[in-house]
Amino acid sequence: MKRATLIFFSLAGLLAAAIAAALLIGSESISPFGLTEQGRAILFDIRMPRVFLGACVGASLAVAGASLQALLRNPLAEPYLLGVSNGAALGTLLAFVFLEGYGFARPILSFAGAGIATFAVYQMARSRAGMNVERLVLSGVIITTFLSSIIVLLTSVLDAARLRGYTFWLLGDLSQATYDGFYLTLAAATVGTIVLSSQARALNLMMVGERDAFDFGVEVGRVRMIVFAMSSLLVGTAVAASGSVGYVGLIVPHLVRLAIGSDNRLVVPMSAIAGAIFVVLADTVARTAIAPRELPVGAITALIGAPLFIYLLRRAN
Amino acid sequence: MAYGNRKMYFASLILALAAAMAVGACSQPKSAVTEANFVQVKDDLGRAVNVPGEVNRIVSLAPSITELVFAAGAGDKLVGVTSYCDFPAGAVSIRKVGDTQTPNVEAIVALQPQLVLVSTASQLEAFAEVLDRQKIGVYVVDVQGLEDVPKRIRKLGEILGTKIEADVAAGALTRRIEVVGSSIRTDAPPKVFVQISAEPLFTVGSGSFITQLVRHAGGESVTKDIATGYPKLSKETAAAMDPEVIVLSDSEDNREPNEVFRNSPAVRNGRVYRIDADILSRPGPRLVDAVEKLAEAFHGKGESGPVN
Repeated sequence: MKRATLIFFSLAGLLAAAIAAALLIGSESISPFGLTEQGRAILFDIRMPRVFLGACVGASLAVAGASLQALLRNPLAEPYLLGVSNGAALGTLLAFVFLEGYGFARPILSFAGAGIATFAVYQMARSRAGMNVERLVLSGVIITTFLSSIIVLLTSVLDAARLRGYTFWLLGDLSQATYDGFYLTLAAATVGTIVLSSQARALNLMMVGERDAFDFGVEVGRVRMIVFAMSSLLVGTAVAASGSVGYVGLIVPHLVRLAIGSDNRLVVPMSAIAGAIFVVLADTVARTAIAPRELPVGAITALIGAPLFIYLLRRAN
Repeated sequence: MAYGNRKMYFASLILALAAAMAVGACSQPKSAVTEANFVQVKDDLGRAVNVPGEVNRIVSLAPSITELVFAAGAGDKLVGVTSYCDFPAGAVSIRKVGDTQTPNVEAIVALQPQLVLVSTASQLEAFAEVLDRQKIGVYVVDVQGLEDVPKRIRKLGEILGTKIEADVAAGALTRRIEVVGSSIRTDAPPKVFVQISAEPLFTVGSGSFITQLVRHAGGESVTKDIATGYPKLSKETAAAMDPEVIVLSDSEDNREPNEVFRNSPAVRNGRVYRIDADILSRPGPRLVDAVEKLAEAFHGKGESGPVN
């Protein structure tokens, strides 16, 4: 486990550096020494909650992706590509439209949406012959497009002015970060990462095959329920705070596995730190690339994520 | 056996489709107007449009254009408008044909208009081609700023045969614009932030006519140099801009200034003004109302609060 400690500390160091850099860079240049009142407001009220929220969102999505990939024995399992993020987005939209006054309605309905979408994809992809890679991906495509069409339908029927911001948010946008959103996402990310890491041994066995895992005494059904519930919690809170930031759950666990192998006892917790680094850096680009205007961070992660994923796939073959 | 049935099914389906298409081709609606008496005019994009000498049936595909047509005295010629056309009152009862970006072409053709007025926000090419085949002219009305408003009203009056009413209306608007221009103080324009939406934070940039409107009303938009019309602005930059006046394009999601402005002079001094989004953001005759309200907010004795 000495190697694990080393990896942990280097990743944690990188995360600290990424956060420090993100806090120092922005559309306004502020010196951390001798802050004016305005500089303090910009740093602590605007930039800091956004950077911290980005870290938690990245951690949540990466851990959800890593565990779903292990559970479903599918390298392409990712919350965004499976439609889980879209389920959460639809839940958030419903809360936004019908329960606007209730602050907690957003993450709760988002969580519910993610859970229902996860369950639906799983049921669709399952067959008597087992679950192959393509079937799961196709089910994800179907769920994604189905939920997208409901979202489009709802936004068309409902008052456009009220939902103008929503379409931007759908692409993954961290500009609405608040400390409250950060605390909630931090709590979910912490709980999710700890619980899913505790299932890592079982996930290792299940990666070989569910029957083999069963023979080794793994309660397959229980592990599956835990992974579905926790990944829904992670994705639900992340999406409620920042929309659908895509590809994080795909790219980060793959890079982590490339670096440290496929032992989930390491992959799951390390994905949390690496995911945090990835989104913090991506959002720094989104905040500064065309400053003082902004890009949605989801566009940046997809821009980096899609080609990197193609490269990884080709290399894997 | 099952396979053969399915083959039959598809074959008959294709036959039925072909038949339907043949029938459709034979029963094209008669064109709305006769070929005679067409005048060729240039629209605001410089496109040549064939317009009948006497225009009686028109469709407007933008709320701002509907308002311009009414101002030009030709509101009674409108047979179709968008679902967002709610002003003036006379527009409410006119047939709705979808909205600016997704007009219902079938509904428009069925109304047999002689001319369809569109804004630059419409998907022009595909749309114009379809209507062209029906011999319905597509005329683009493009209002870039305040000065364009009386000009466009005059031109619509000429085309639609209501020149006298249009000239009177345009003249009155021109005078009101001039009055605003001469009544404002120009020595110390207040720093103005126009908030289009609070979350995410959208404002007006160099490409928006609202930036020009603010200038005409004697203010200086702090975001006037930012590229594009309606940029999503970094909250850090917004906070650093320290606006003295905040103008809210008043709509359901934009009733209060964004949290980042809470220490700005505008909020501290209560200089936050709400102007109905429809008045501020439709490039039509009510831009003159908007510029008057802005001038009053910037320079009038006006206390803070809603201006409209």
